[in-house]
Amino acid sequence: MSHHCIFAQELICDIQGKRILDVDAFSVKHGERIAIIGHNGAGKSTLVKLLTGFMSCSSGSLNVLDREMNSGLSTNALRLLRKEIGQVLQGLHLVARLTALDNVLIGSLGRLSGWKCLARIYPQEEIQRARQALDNVGLGMKAETRADKLSGGEKQRVAIARMLMQKPRLILADEPTAALDPGAAADICELLVKSARGATLITVVHNPALLPVLAQRVIGLKAGRIVFDVPTTEISEQRLHSLYDLEPLNT
Amino acid sequence: MQPTHPSGSASVSARRNGFIALTITYFLFVAACLGSLISENEISMGRNPLENLIQTTQDFIRPSFIDIWFGNPRLEYRSDDGEVLRVENRQEVETRHIEAMARATWTTVRIATLGSLLAALLSLPLALLSARNLGAPKLFSWGAKSLLDISRSIHTLVFGLIIVGIIGLGPTAGILAIAFHSMGTYGKLFAESIESLDMGAIDAVRSVGATPPQVFSHAVLPAVLPQFISSHLYVWEFNIRDSTILGIIGAGGLGQLITEAISLFQWGRLSTVLIVVFVLVASFDMLSRRIRESLL
Repeated sequence: MSHHCIFAQELICDIQGKRILDVDAFSVKHGERIAIIGHNGAGKSTLVKLLTGFMSCSSGSLNVLDREMNSGLSTNALRLLRKEIGQVLQGLHLVARLTALDNVLIGSLGRLSGWKCLARIYPQEEIQRARQALDNVGLGMKAETRADKLSGGEKQRVAIARMLMQKPRLILADEPTAALDPGAAADICELLVKSARGATLITVVHNPALLPVLAQRVIGLKAGRIVFDVPTTEISEQRLHSLYDLEPLNT
Repeated sequence: MQPTHPSGSASVSARRNGFIALTITYFLFVAACLGSLISENEISMGRNPLENLIQTTQDFIRPSFIDIWFGNPRLEYRSDDGEVLRVENRQEVETRHIEAMARATWTTVRIATLGSLLAALLSLPLALLSARNLGAPKLFSWGAKSLLDISRSIHTLVFGLIIVGIIGLGPTAGILAIAFHSMGTYGKLFAESIESLDMGAIDAVRSVGATPPQVFSHAVLPAVLPQFISSHLYVWEFNIRDSTILGIIGAGGLGQLITEAISLFQWGRLSTVLIVVFVLVASFDMLSRRIRESLL
């Protein structure tokens, strides 16, 4: 096992002739917490999709949890990889008609098989683990509430509990706070970091105020290229300004 | 800086003018329909509408089933010279008629139920092909869509007449007629509920490493099943109503009693059949609404 969780070299991703991502080198060690920032369309979500195999790169090499992503992994190999990667996505994707508990139990599907789990019948120890996960995110009393009856912050907590059920080695959070108010956003970030202890955490964020909580290292993406890769302490107002192009280009 | 947007206000006034033009066109069309019918002398209420109305109403407000209790037990049919031709027990006759009606109701319910289920099963693959978000090959999805449109545009009765010509009279013809017409309705409703699926939730379940059957049972099924059941109840209920008319073309059931009553001018019996149809449809409607509400 290499000491890198993610290792990428000369990674290029084109979509319909347009270069979305062009990364010379990028690596993440096991247990590291990093944040990716950048303007809309900078390639952040594309990078996250490459890491889970929901998209494939055009050229270059990308190694995630000791798998070479560009070697045409079989769908089965991809499933085994996704089992080890916990995801919290933007837009609060829960199955609306299932209860919070059932949504959390979905996180255990990667290690279950057979007809029983197709009928949504779970082993007793998984149900206990799911209740524990809900308790950990502070939603123990809402286990039987349907997902579409939960508030935005509660939904994101359920999504985190579902991710915890996977016992992932790598956690990817793509704008986990996009749909939340500032107070709930800070809570969710703290919860995410607490839950991710022991695993590698990669977060895509927009709000610079959340960076110190979420990450030790910050990577700035601009038009598909990495423009800086520095410890969080070195993030300055000026760096953010040039990243987001807050000043007009011509002045 | 002026806060107005000249191009925007121009498009607003263009839209308003378009709406006014459409409204005028509509009323011109209505005038053309009415005017041409009047000029062909086709708008008339007959020779003595009031008298006929009173006559029909009198027959209607005395439904035939009342005779089960209040009918004449010795109704004598006499010839012109006073000879008794036949004696009829009205109470017995109407009791037998009500029994026949119960059997006919059962036939109607069976036609509607089996026809609806067959339609739902036939439409499912077509709905999967025509749902835009599933990305079926263009040719297939176009074919499926056309098939559903054709099926929806041909009335159950027309299908019925064609099928009776092929397989003969009876409930089977009714079942197939209902199935072929409702297939189009089901297909459209099913495709719409598939199109409203939250693809994000499906990706979220895939991202935990779930197998395709697991994705189907945990993300797709919980989202579409209640809508499918709700659509099914809706169309089923519609078909109970629709199949009462299928008897007219010889599929059996309540429609046949309606045809008989009309051709024999037995308005009292027609009244009884219509009451049964009303009770049947209303109670099914109430039941299906309860179930649909508890599902959503």
